[in-house]
Amino acid sequence: MNLRFVAVLLGWLLLMEGGFLCVPLITAALYSEPVRPFLVTVLVAVAAGFLLVRSCSSTDRNIRPRDGFLVVGGAWVVVSLVGALPYILAAPGFDPCDALFESVSGFTTTGSTVVSDTGILARSVLLWRAMSQWLGGMGIILFTIAILPLLGIGGMQLFKAEVPGPVADKIRPRLVNTARSLWGIYVAFTALEWFALRVAGLDAFEALCHAFTTLATGGFSTRNASVGGFASPAVEWIIIFFMLAAGINFVLHYKIITGRGREVVRDAELRYFLALIVGGTFWFVLTTHEAGAAFGDTVRNAAFQAVSLITTTGFVTADFELWSGAAMLAVVVMLTLGGMSGSTGGGIKSLRTLLAFRSLRATLDQLIHPHAIRPVKVGGVVVSSSILSGIWAFLTAYFLIALLGAAVVALAGYDLLTSLTAALTAVGNVGPGLGEVGAYDNFAHFPGFVKLTLAVCMLFGRLEIFTLLAFFSREFWRR
Amino acid sequence: MKAIVVGGGVVGSTLAERLAADGNDVILVERSKELASALNDRLDVQVVSGNGATVPVLEEAGISSCDLIFATTDSDEVNMVVALVASEIYKVPRVIARLRHPDHETGFRQIAGSEVERLAINPEQAAVEKILSLMPVPGAVDVVSFFSDDLLIAGFVVRPASDVSGLLLSHLRLLFPSTPVLVVALRRDGAWRVPHGDDEIVAGDLIYLAIDRSELDNVLALLGHRRGRERRIMIAGASRIGVELARRLGEQETAVTLVELSRGDAEAAAAELEHTMVVHGSPTDRELLTEEGADRVDGFVACTDTHEENVVACLLARKLGAAHTFALVDNPALVGLIADLGIDALISPRLLSVGVALHYARTGHVTRVAALLDDAVEVFEAEIPATSRLAQAPLSDAGLPRGILVAAVQREGKIVVPGGGDRIQPGERALLVTTRELASRIDDLLER
Repeated sequence: MNLRFVAVLLGWLLLMEGGFLCVPLITAALYSEPVRPFLVTVLVAVAAGFLLVRSCSSTDRNIRPRDGFLVVGGAWVVVSLVGALPYILAAPGFDPCDALFESVSGFTTTGSTVVSDTGILARSVLLWRAMSQWLGGMGIILFTIAILPLLGIGGMQLFKAEVPGPVADKIRPRLVNTARSLWGIYVAFTALEWFALRVAGLDAFEALCHAFTTLATGGFSTRNASVGGFASPAVEWIIIFFMLAAGINFVLHYKIITGRGREVVRDAELRYFLALIVGGTFWFVLTTHEAGAAFGDTVRNAAFQAVSLITTTGFVTADFELWSGAAMLAVVVMLTLGGMSGSTGGGIKSLRTLLAFRSLRATLDQLIHPHAIRPVKVGGVVVSSSILSGIWAFLTAYFLIALLGAAVVALAGYDLLTSLTAALTAVGNVGPGLGEVGAYDNFAHFPGFVKLTLAVCMLFGRLEIFTLLAFFSREFWRR
Repeated sequence: MKAIVVGGGVVGSTLAERLAADGNDVILVERSKELASALNDRLDVQVVSGNGATVPVLEEAGISSCDLIFATTDSDEVNMVVALVASEIYKVPRVIARLRHPDHETGFRQIAGSEVERLAINPEQAAVEKILSLMPVPGAVDVVSFFSDDLLIAGFVVRPASDVSGLLLSHLRLLFPSTPVLVVALRRDGAWRVPHGDDEIVAGDLIYLAIDRSELDNVLALLGHRRGRERRIMIAGASRIGVELARRLGEQETAVTLVELSRGDAEAAAAELEHTMVVHGSPTDRELLTEEGADRVDGFVACTDTHEENVVACLLARKLGAAHTFALVDNPALVGLIADLGIDALISPRLLSVGVALHYARTGHVTRVAALLDDAVEVFEAEIPATSRLAQAPLSDAGLPRGILVAAVQREGKIVVPGGGDRIQPGERALLVTTRELASRIDDLLER
């Protein structure tokens, strides 16, 4: 293992985080809020980063698969740890477990919170909460690749380990340019949403926070009642649109921009993803519409919840705990399905579920026609059996981790619904669950060890299980 | 006319032989010395031995004074080079390349900047088209369609038990008084002729019928042919022809099962095909064919690269109960052996391409023409110009030679069979049937 270079990379990441932390620092100064918490954090991040970069300088810049896992896994842990400092220092009543939970929930774009009243948080802290999601959404390592020409050929290892989905597409010949294009699209969408929300009547600060957390499919809000708190259909439709955009593979956005829209229309995963959303919306309309309610409101609420859950954003505008069992079942299904591969959404990812279904169908066909050759295809291209077995392994590991997480919650004395949905929402990076972690509840009531367990689940989910699971393999530690 | 044929394989040598028989000067270029000298002894052509893709060899063959060049080697790349050298350097007026891979054909057509005629002939594509046109006409040995698919010319072997056996041709016309159904060519005891009304159909004849599409089912019933129980096709062999056929049938929403012995080829076919069930196994495996329902299929097409295996697979499928079987067979000796075994149609990609090339050589155009089986009879669809002899007098007075038949005319959107007193109006499209010897006179008929 090339530990020295891994340390250098982690150092650069910390310096990068220190740079970003200056934004809430300046905000604090502008709103005359206490600057000390952010000042301390910036100093810690910069000092630690500087130390790592200087003391471990290395001429060997090769990243092997093992190093890749170490960098990505290590980076997310270290960045989350440093990112937790402002909460400890600035948020009233936060113990270290709360702070870490909030920080991990931020960077992994989960959006579960231990904050029961956002009103007591300083604006600079609210901004950092939203910003951490924004950084985690497109990936802080991808960002580093984009601006630092530090990585050689090994950058692809990191890219593959961080980008969601079973296959990572390079959209441009050079990785640096791929990273820049992806981040460019991300920034552009964020700016667009900020502008749209401003037009719809939000103030600059809230518009920015929501633009950050929508594009990241994170789901932190500055309001206790989430997006529902604005009581504005226009704002809700804007956010539905941008959640959808964030849940779509950014490679497709790139294709649209470069005039290859026809490929996008024919994309099998996109069609499936949109069909799931339309189906989910329809199901919610069917199961939640009450006589006397305005049909337009029902449709908007159904669409908002469906898009928010499937893209794993986790904003809410309706209390789905009051819904019927059929609707709640759909909530659980949708929060496990997840966004498209290559999007900022979490969950299993639609490409995986699509391929799993097709693989299942092929297996069934094979029972009827034992000699038939039934390759699994997507978009006319055969999916190799190694990718398929990877998907089945992913699904197994995904639900195993969710089950283990649920077991820990249940051991703390919670009911089945709360345990299961809390773990699923954590692994899926969604945000809300059902039961005691429902649409308008929070996670503050969990004991510390449950919070830490769920935080680990979130990291597993954001890094697509295998990146972290690799640490548990004996091969990983073998010299 | 002076013609150069590059490549002395089955296609090249057959083509050279037929061109020479038509009275042309033919120079055959063949790379292999042994084959070249064997061909020199066998054919009435001049043989040059050497690489036909090189300028010196082509010079030796006299390319600068030739009217027509055919590139028919086994290699698409060589054929393209020959065609390009001929058309770009020597400005040979008509250039034909045999290109088997469709992607080569696409590229070949796109090469711009030439004022000479260039034609690509794809034998495998021709075979696919032929099989596709055969499928809707069960029992036919050959099918060509004209007048934008409204009129079919189909060849049938008359069975002893069928209702047409013993029928006078004029009586057949009476059975279908208002729509065109008529015999346009007939082979008896190995000799072809363009028949008359008082000819009688005898069991064992091979008859070519012009059939209006609306009457197809009635004609098939009259001939005693039936359709299969399921509209499903089984294809044996994932050769390029097999895969292309499966793709085209899939586009028509026909259920297709493709059987291939090689696992790699089967996987490649499954990757390429969207609506086809690809099965790994031998096309001559009885158990496998039964398991996949060969007994209920409408058509069974054997197109593996081993043509003997195609015959065996077809016989097996026929025995299992497949309604119609088609085999790809290039070897003329094999064709003779199995003619009466009950395989509905034998398709030879090579002979098909020879037929197209020959026709092009004779007439200079290939739109809507087809050489029928044996290359003995040809059918043309052509617009009759005002200057044509056919448009100036009633047909009986137009001086049509015996052996040329005006089978049908498209008149105001309808297809009619012209009588002796009919006169063809300028601008109408007519279908002419002729024996091979008279094919060169068609141009005279149309233009003067």
